[in-house]
Amino acid sequence: MWHIAKRELYDNLNSLRFALATVLLLALMLTNTVLYLREHPKRIQAYHNAASGAVKTLEGRSTSLYRLATEGPGDLHKAPSLLRFCAEGDEAFLPTHASGANFVRRIADRTPIWRMGYPQETPNLRNIRPDFATLDWAFIVGYVLSFIAILFTFDAISGELERGTLRLTLANAIPRHTVLMGKFLGVFISINIPFTIVVLMNLILISTSDAVQLNPEAWGRLGILYSVIILYICLFIALGLLISAAVRESGVSLVVLLLIWVSFVVFMPNTLASIGSRTLVPIAYEEFWTQRIRLADAARAAYRDKYGDSQITPSVHVLGEYVTTEAEEHERYNASYLKQQIEQGKRARAITRISPAAIVQRLFESFAGTGFERHLQFIENAQRYTREYREFVVDTDRADPESLHLIGIQEGMSQKPVNPEAIPKFKDTLSLSRDFDAVATDLLLLVLFLGVLVSGAYLAFVRLEI
Amino acid sequence: MLLTLIRRELLDNLMTFRFAAAVFITLLLVVANTVVLLKDYEQRLTAYNTATQESYQRLREEKTYSYYIGKLVAHRPPNPLSIFNLGLDKQVGNKINVYHGFVPTIWDAEKHRSDNPFLNLFTSIDIALVFQGILSLLALIFAYDALAGERERGTLRLVLTHPIRRGYILFAKYISAMLCLLVPLLISLLLSIVLLTTSTTIFLSTNDFLRLGGIVLTSLLYVSLFYLIGMWISAMTRRTSTALMLCMFVWGFLVLVYPNLILTAVEITPQPDTQASAYNQIKQMWEEFDRENKQLLRNDPVLGPLSRDGEGWGFYVEGGEYTFGMSEDKPSILLYFFQTGFYAGKIGAESEPQVPRLQNYYRFYNRETVNTVQRTWLVREPALEAIYIHPANLGRTLLKFSPAGLYDAATEAWAGTNLEDIQDFFNAVQRYRRAVLDYFDDEKIFESRQWFAADHGTADWDALPQFSFQRSGVDVNAKRALPDLFLLLMTNLILFTVIFLIFVRSEV
Repeated sequence: MWHIAKRELYDNLNSLRFALATVLLLALMLTNTVLYLREHPKRIQAYHNAASGAVKTLEGRSTSLYRLATEGPGDLHKAPSLLRFCAEGDEAFLPTHASGANFVRRIADRTPIWRMGYPQETPNLRNIRPDFATLDWAFIVGYVLSFIAILFTFDAISGELERGTLRLTLANAIPRHTVLMGKFLGVFISINIPFTIVVLMNLILISTSDAVQLNPEAWGRLGILYSVIILYICLFIALGLLISAAVRESGVSLVVLLLIWVSFVVFMPNTLASIGSRTLVPIAYEEFWTQRIRLADAARAAYRDKYGDSQITPSVHVLGEYVTTEAEEHERYNASYLKQQIEQGKRARAITRISPAAIVQRLFESFAGTGFERHLQFIENAQRYTREYREFVVDTDRADPESLHLIGIQEGMSQKPVNPEAIPKFKDTLSLSRDFDAVATDLLLLVLFLGVLVSGAYLAFVRLEI
Repeated sequence: MLLTLIRRELLDNLMTFRFAAAVFITLLLVVANTVVLLKDYEQRLTAYNTATQESYQRLREEKTYSYYIGKLVAHRPPNPLSIFNLGLDKQVGNKINVYHGFVPTIWDAEKHRSDNPFLNLFTSIDIALVFQGILSLLALIFAYDALAGERERGTLRLVLTHPIRRGYILFAKYISAMLCLLVPLLISLLLSIVLLTTSTTIFLSTNDFLRLGGIVLTSLLYVSLFYLIGMWISAMTRRTSTALMLCMFVWGFLVLVYPNLILTAVEITPQPDTQASAYNQIKQMWEEFDRENKQLLRNDPVLGPLSRDGEGWGFYVEGGEYTFGMSEDKPSILLYFFQTGFYAGKIGAESEPQVPRLQNYYRFYNRETVNTVQRTWLVREPALEAIYIHPANLGRTLLKFSPAGLYDAATEAWAGTNLEDIQDFFNAVQRYRRAVLDYFDDEKIFESRQWFAADHGTADWDALPQFSFQRSGVDVNAKRALPDLFLLLMTNLILFTVIFLIFVRSEV
């Protein structure tokens, strides 16, 4: 078997495709490195500026607990991922922050309580450049490397069949599965050599640069990503061998492989997502907005019915209850709409799982800490922080015996100044175990795909008549 | 003779598996994506119609002129041909406020917010993209063994024993392959047009069909270019397997890698940092205006006290109900302005003597605002050009070194979804703003009582000029597509000549 693998390897090393593949991968990885090393420090700087600005604003509000309760914690910013060079995750299409602020009309001549809002605008709105895919690892592996894998395998069996050398090989006392394994290994190693070299170059350049420090967790994630890449390459090699054995003619086998590649890698992930998203459509934004206004108006009307116009001031207790429930209801309604949108996004992504390329894209995004799943984690973090912040306000107020404990009413809250240090600050964290949970199914599916294709290739080759 | 050759080649090609597979896969992808894009278009059209109606009503709910901010909105309708090439049609904002406080540009526009932002994570695949990827690949697959294959099998020698000119052979091969490639192209286009006609929301005019003709022509040239590239490689190499490898890598490079590589490179080229200085200049102009305005108010014995000693928003007169201060401050798009005003349902008798003074003041204030906007626009326009348009155009130009980029640019121009067409819309909005301002000037609306008070007649919105926008005509589309089309044609001709020369001189 090793002998066959070695022979395959030598064959490939001297071939034109090996040289071309190496040059292509090198150019792509170099661009990737330069792009990352230029953009990442800027991103980090922008994030730190925004985050420290937000903290300053928050601390500026610590003059009274009432301000904290009505104006809210301000903008919560999403931390940029250290591993953005692995997967861009279309971050330009995702909101960069959540906003815990007060942005509604005054109610009963009172400033209402702050609420958490999730803006819908994306940084991409002002972009008028042509659309393009960033050259991240996900692109290089998902598109280019899989393409190269096809070009290395399409004639692995059919070519030898045509030249008649397969007959010669099998004339020796070698079992067929050994031949297949040998071919598999040979192709695998010859693709891996250039790829591993350029990956190492990429990582060495990035880790030796002053601008970026890769921490142990990042290295762990990179390790996982590398094993995902290995799985993905194996998958395409198995596919290539399967088609090559099943079709018998290299010309036809290439056409079939290319068409499979184009449909599964290029078109399916997007087209299927668009089709899938139609199966679970949230209410239209206008509808959402009308309903939201109707809710607020109903609450206000109910309040006015009970206590008349602001001519006779109702007791502060009633007002306190009103402003609190109004804010909570609004936030709950917003969150439920956001949830609908997220569900639609999830549904769209779930359907694309038919394509291994889409699975790998998801795995890349999750382990690199970018993209949709990462955004969901950010939203979760923001929601957790919302609770923390509210609890902090309530607890601080409770600690003051002179207060009436009416949150959102100036005269009903603690008048003592708040220690700016004690206010909880938003921290956007990423957890590897959560990332892993989110994509466990995808990982399993990828392994299953591989299993099916490998056994398919085996069967096709064993039953091949020479 | 030529006909015999063509017939032979045609039959050879038509009976192959690759031809069947090509037709099947193109049809499948085009139909699937047309369905998706059609739904998407319908959704955008509904959003457009709802939004247009809503802003029409909202404007008419206002009684005074000064409250037209945010209510007088120009909407950009979706382009039905965006199904063929989406271009910037969906990406760029389609809802823009018309106001005298700023000059409307692409970057000030918002989107109709009916879609889910998370769906933007998926690229919309238009028909041009399908053709761009699939047809080029097919052309190469048809071409790689056109010459090298026959040479390997020895049939080329056989053919050349007959008294046939070599050019004829080349031409016959080219024509027959193009005829074969035309089949999936035309059938799939036909199917997608049939799908479009089943929709009740899309009406394709004669002009649209002319544009589609342009797209077909461009596609033809594009496919032919890739076929010739394949043939060139086939003529240069002795073995089919080498030709095939080279073809595939050339495809991968031109279609898959180069566009992304070059746009990434444009992204990382350093740009002149004009943004901060331009923004500061603009801000200073506004602050200067603000100072003058406050100075005037403070020194005025009547208006000063009414506006809280020249500091407040609007005026506190008897019967005044609301005051407003409207401001925008977006450094990244160099947008900065603020406007103040107030609304009075019925001005009380006590404040009546001040009304002419207020009218006079607003004449000054509004005129000065318009002048300030004009001054800032002189800074803003070139700065926006440098920050946004130049890099975008640089990227677009560099893209044209790949046939895929040329094809994309040309079909975008035909469909009317490229940057110039989008700019046409915003130019129309700018002209509309001018027309509204002229109307305000002519009818002395800036200094009218209806600017702030609703007691002596209310704002007459129906007399306001109406906004209308027509997509540019086919001739304009053609003019925009022509340079790219010409480039495609020239590369085709050059390649054909090169192949001819190589083939004539080659030993068989």
